[in-house]
Amino acid sequence: MNDVVPLPVLLPLFGCGAALMFSRRPRVQRAITVSVLVAVVAIASMLLVAADRHGPQVAWLGSWPRPLGLALVADRVSALMLLVSAIVTLAVLVYSLAQGGASEDDESTPVSIYHPTFMVLVAGVSNAFLAGDLFNLFVSFEMLLFASYVLLTLGGTESRIRAGTIYVVINMVSSALFLIAIAAVYAATGSLNFAQLSERLGDLPDGVALTLQLLLLTVFAIKAAVFPLSFWLPDSYPTAPAPVTAVFAGLLTKVGVYAILRTQTLLFPDSPLSNLLLWTAFATMLVGILGAVAQSDVKRMLSFTLVSHIGYMILGIALGSAEGLAGATLYVVHHITIQTVLFLVVGLIEYRTGTTSLLRLGGLAKTAPFIAILFFIPAMNLAGIPPLSGYLGKIGLLQAAVADGSTTAYVLVGGAVVTSLLTLYAMAKAWALAFWRSEEQAREMSKALNEAAAEHDEPSLRHITKRAVEKNASEADRVMPTDVALAAGATEGDEEVDDLYDKPLHAREGATPRTLMWPTTALVAFSIALTVVAGPLFGLTERASVDMKARTPYVNAVLGDDR
Amino acid sequence: MILLISVHLLAALAAPAMALALGRKVFMALAIVPLATFVWAVLNAPGAAPVTQTVSWIPSLGTDLAFRMGALQWLLTLVVAGVGALVLFYCASYFHDDDRVGSFAATFIAFAGSMLGLVLADDLLMVYVFWEMTTVFSYLLIGYDMTKRSARLAAMQALIVTTFGGLAMLVGMLMLGHLAGTMRISKILADPPAASGLLTAAVMLVLVGALSKSAIVPFHFWLPGAMSAPTPVSAYLHAASMVKAGVYLVALLAPAFAGVPGWRAGILTLGVLTMLVGGWRSLVQCDVKLILAYGTVSQLGFLLVVLSVGTRAAALAGVALLLAHALFKSCLFLVVGIIDHNAGNRDLRTLSGLGRRSPVLFAAAAIAGASMVGFPPLLGFVAKESVLTALVDVTAGGDGTGLGPVAAWTVLVGVVVGSIITTAYTLRFLWGAFADKPGVEATDFKTPSPAFLASPVVLAVLSIGVAFFGGPLTKSLEGYTHQFPPGAHEAKLALWHGLGLPLGLSVLALVSGALMFVARRPIAHAQTKVAQPWSAQRAYLSLMHGVDRLSVEVTGFMQRGSVSAYLAVTLVVLLAFPGVAMLMAWTPDVQVHVWDTPAQAAAGLVVVLAAIMTARARRRLRAALLVGVTGYGCAVLFVLQGAPDLALTQVLVETASVIAFVLVLRRLPTYFTDRPLSAQRYVRALLGLAVGAAVAGIMIVATNARTAQPVSVGFPEASVDFGGGKNIVSVTLVDIRAWDTMGEISVLVAAATGVASLLFIGTRRSTIRRVGDLPQHHAAEPKTGGSWLSGPSTLAPEKRSIIFEVVTRLVFPAMVMVGVYLLFAGHNFTGGGFAGGIVTGLALVVRYLAGGRYELDEAAPIDAGTLLGVGLVIAAGSGLAPLAFGGAVLESYQYDVHLPLLGDHHLVTSLFFDIGVYLVVVGLILDLLRTFGSRIDRQIISEERDNDATNAEVAR
Repeated sequence: MNDVVPLPVLLPLFGCGAALMFSRRPRVQRAITVSVLVAVVAIASMLLVAADRHGPQVAWLGSWPRPLGLALVADRVSALMLLVSAIVTLAVLVYSLAQGGASEDDESTPVSIYHPTFMVLVAGVSNAFLAGDLFNLFVSFEMLLFASYVLLTLGGTESRIRAGTIYVVINMVSSALFLIAIAAVYAATGSLNFAQLSERLGDLPDGVALTLQLLLLTVFAIKAAVFPLSFWLPDSYPTAPAPVTAVFAGLLTKVGVYAILRTQTLLFPDSPLSNLLLWTAFATMLVGILGAVAQSDVKRMLSFTLVSHIGYMILGIALGSAEGLAGATLYVVHHITIQTVLFLVVGLIEYRTGTTSLLRLGGLAKTAPFIAILFFIPAMNLAGIPPLSGYLGKIGLLQAAVADGSTTAYVLVGGAVVTSLLTLYAMAKAWALAFWRSEEQAREMSKALNEAAAEHDEPSLRHITKRAVEKNASEADRVMPTDVALAAGATEGDEEVDDLYDKPLHAREGATPRTLMWPTTALVAFSIALTVVAGPLFGLTERASVDMKARTPYVNAVLGDDR
Repeated sequence: MILLISVHLLAALAAPAMALALGRKVFMALAIVPLATFVWAVLNAPGAAPVTQTVSWIPSLGTDLAFRMGALQWLLTLVVAGVGALVLFYCASYFHDDDRVGSFAATFIAFAGSMLGLVLADDLLMVYVFWEMTTVFSYLLIGYDMTKRSARLAAMQALIVTTFGGLAMLVGMLMLGHLAGTMRISKILADPPAASGLLTAAVMLVLVGALSKSAIVPFHFWLPGAMSAPTPVSAYLHAASMVKAGVYLVALLAPAFAGVPGWRAGILTLGVLTMLVGGWRSLVQCDVKLILAYGTVSQLGFLLVVLSVGTRAAALAGVALLLAHALFKSCLFLVVGIIDHNAGNRDLRTLSGLGRRSPVLFAAAAIAGASMVGFPPLLGFVAKESVLTALVDVTAGGDGTGLGPVAAWTVLVGVVVGSIITTAYTLRFLWGAFADKPGVEATDFKTPSPAFLASPVVLAVLSIGVAFFGGPLTKSLEGYTHQFPPGAHEAKLALWHGLGLPLGLSVLALVSGALMFVARRPIAHAQTKVAQPWSAQRAYLSLMHGVDRLSVEVTGFMQRGSVSAYLAVTLVVLLAFPGVAMLMAWTPDVQVHVWDTPAQAAAGLVVVLAAIMTARARRRLRAALLVGVTGYGCAVLFVLQGAPDLALTQVLVETASVIAFVLVLRRLPTYFTDRPLSAQRYVRALLGLAVGAAVAGIMIVATNARTAQPVSVGFPEASVDFGGGKNIVSVTLVDIRAWDTMGEISVLVAAATGVASLLFIGTRRSTIRRVGDLPQHHAAEPKTGGSWLSGPSTLAPEKRSIIFEVVTRLVFPAMVMVGVYLLFAGHNFTGGGFAGGIVTGLALVVRYLAGGRYELDEAAPIDAGTLLGVGLVIAAGSGLAPLAFGGAVLESYQYDVHLPLLGDHHLVTSLFFDIGVYLVVVGLILDLLRTFGSRIDRQIISEERDNDATNAEVAR
């Protein structure tokens, strides 16, 4: 199986080139990209089986004498990540076939650009999971970042460009820092190969190793959106088209988490930073989830839950025990799936109603019962309601923390539980407003909020916010004061004001296209299936973490047993 | 057991479809499922060994699908399944045929299945699984009336409160499981972990869950709110099953953990308090359903008190009370449902004369009410007698519980007072719902059908019937009660306990309660007068409100929406962590090697100065050029370091970027707009300096730490031997680390498409328009043979330069040749596909500058996207190809080939990869030119035209 390790990267690149060549023939283009991803799913499954049965699968590209050249490594963790990401990207790709499928000139999703770029993104994500070399990891990041720059600004609307600016600038800086880190690592060790680094970094003076570790952590923390390096995310993700946000939310931060997981276990075992990471995880969870509670737009809300739940994964990594790593790995798998599917469902809502604002949504349980089910199950999953995968991931992590037994670990248990509760709160709020409440009520509330906001001559966000909190104290349904601020913002010369309250919700009548529905449904089914296969899956992540802790299986597979 | 639970859940999946066919009769069909469960339970009455079933689920977490039906579980199964079947049967009359029957029925049966799982599970985590499932289904059922704001709020409140408790319980369970080394409940009970602070904490956390689920003070407020649910839901979830979950858990754990510090003190206090508060609040309710709801709160407190005491007598009494409560309370709720349904009214102030209109209904309610107050010969009486007997035993020396006389008497008094109130509110309920009230018009009440009445009547009859089976019941429950040590008296259930204090207390409760009922008006009046000093509901609301407010404050503070703020945070983190670590790693023996040659310092200085000036520049063009200078400075450094390839590439890249910048800047304002305040500028400058210093420090420290030999030492030899090339840089790029290059060219492709996407909104394709395609061109100017370039003829005369055109005409082929040469020479000499591509691209730039956009299309009549695509396909294909020959991806082969005219050549297959790189780079530059050049030209021209038109109009 060693030979096929590069294929999950190479095939999408090939597909990208082919898609560009056939950019005038959308059907051919789609056939190419979809079949490439189907192939990647198949290869990833084979790799996972092979890695589980026969140990890490390694490809030395170009067959150069080791340790020259580059190695791609698919051990259990990489292969598992690869498989999940392949499944998710395939679902998203099929989902996006419906968008802009009708006309070439659909402004929000220009198809001929979308497909090749999406392929580069997939290649980058796959490569990041497989990279066995620090610089190659950097290249992977560049691939997925550049593709994401393009996808984020698709159509070039003002809000997307504005969001894109934040995203691009922050990521450019993080890329620069990554390069600096790579230079420093190479300066200190003379190698960039993970396996070789794992042997050489230990020989460095503690202080230097710690500096390098912190530098890499800073870089990856930006990618993974770990507090306090997470602020860029909720400001940039929500503006993109739904499938784009879905795949970003599902995969890109997890690539950062994976990088942290890989480097912390392989390069810096017995990390002295465990406590630091624990507290970062704590802050990430809580600050993130408070952000979600404060939102009135479903997309933004989900972007904040995304940040918040990164904290769970960091918790597992920080604990550093095999149980913790297994829990973190499982949580990554769960979160990739669930966060993607939620954004896809939000895309369905947007398709149906033309909005994702909780100020305006209403009546969906009646008008779109199937979408309601598709939203409710993953929403509960995200909130960790059993027996869904979010619960299982949470249990794995909490068990690891309880087994750790330190005071800090117990504080984290508390933080995780509170986060879980607040996630449920945010989800239930969205559910009550968008699905249960009638459209009529939605319109009334928007009006009331608008009036509340109009009373103010000083539209400073904080001020209105505070007033609104007082005002809303007795009000039911607890739509958040930021809504008032948003409504206030809308009053200031925004042409949308009238639209906002009087326009009926149905942007589109009739059935939602099947190409939107069935990938979403399939992904919901996949998320439920995670529960069914939880036993073997946990077994796999457990074996994976034991190997990660041991390090030798990876190192020997890459460098050979006979060193 | 797994089968039974699965059947429930499958029935839930099938329910919507069944409802389409059957309408509300679907409830009858679904009732078969719990009925079958009931029958199964009856057939499996507790014997010597409990029924168990275990299927492995997640061994890694120590959790399995473990189920076990002991005596306690058996009784609860009977309740859950029996009442479930009756309520479902009742639903068929309660609901109308509409499109929501299906989803309601599905949720209801799914709930029943979860509840069954909850009582049968023998694994702590499985208990939690079903526990939360009941919470979620209950949430959906409470919010059934979804367009009512009050229903939504109540649903949310119930969800949050019980999930809060549930999560606390989860942590407790995990701790308990950790301490016990197993999640299996039967094992934990058989061999409880040794007492420790951790165990106490674990048990207390579990109790938080139990208390919240069973609506015990201070969590009680969610239950009355949950009455927004349809009445069958209240009858089932909020009387018979779900609210008993907490009570069940306490009963389950009591044998092992009743002795844990805080268990008795905590539960008894809160239980008695709940009994009193619930009863007291129910005395002022006007909605008959709410009387029952508060009554339920009160009774749950009562149940909890009895089941937590931890003596054999109390345990038996508690279980009997639990059964009695399930029977009478669900009956009463179903009665209220009929009243609500047929009278459309639940307010006792306006209900009148119902007793005469439907005597059967009244009889059922009266029997259930009598059971509730403990009137003989009903099950409620049997249970209450046993409770009082057990508690009296505790007052005399603790009965093995270690409770002091003061505590025991307080509990007893509390329970008796609670019973008095119970009598009062029960009478008030019966009076309120059924009595003829003077001055109130008789309520318009449709006589309920027999099917509608069946369920409450059956439940009422059971309240009588079971009372006579105290003996067999005692026997069946031994499996549970015998986990407790035998007490002062033999524990048994019977209608006649003999004359004694317990009977006296029963009579006292009945008589005083009746008196209290008579005095209901003054009592209600007094209650409304006394302001409530504290309300759990209000505390909950202000807590949630606080959370909302906190979330807004925190998010407003963190989420500034400003790039510079986020950047500042990032850089501060860089300084605070890696920066500080670097300072700590800086040992005195760190050596700083300043430069190899002073020329490096000079180049470095240029780079630094250019960077600073860039940051200070106000004009965009100036900034762009200065950035270019930093790049050329780097190229100089590369040259000094002895890397001509890198230098060449760097120079070419800088040139191409500067050109791109200049083309773009045509469409941007000359000056940067916002300039930060000066104070902020200094802070930023300082931060920048600090970060620069930190990075320099990190590099110095890292360089000093090196001991191992770098891998690149092996490159030169391997390049020649294995890579077949003498140019190490080039071999590295296209062979050793070709995979990196592959990634980077895909980055170029993404960048090119991205640039195009931003300007050519909607399509990646640019239309290629050659000179010949211009219609007016043909007409106006027939082709003249003497022209050097054809494109410039499309330009306005003042924009043309003949000399430039001539030079371009001469230079262009040469530049393309150089590009191609660099591509092929790369493997052994300076060059490579990348550099070659840029040179070729620059040749196109020259053509464009000389002749405009038509000239560009003349020079390269091909779509940039196609070029990019072909390039990437060639590169990726050359990576894939070796697989077909049994090699590894990107493996290269060497051949000596003889070409006619060109002589012998040493061909390395990595050349194909390099050709791909070359094409991608050319494609990128072509794309940039088309986008930033041609496209913007077109914009400018069309704007000029518009302006001219406007001017002309204005002039007119």
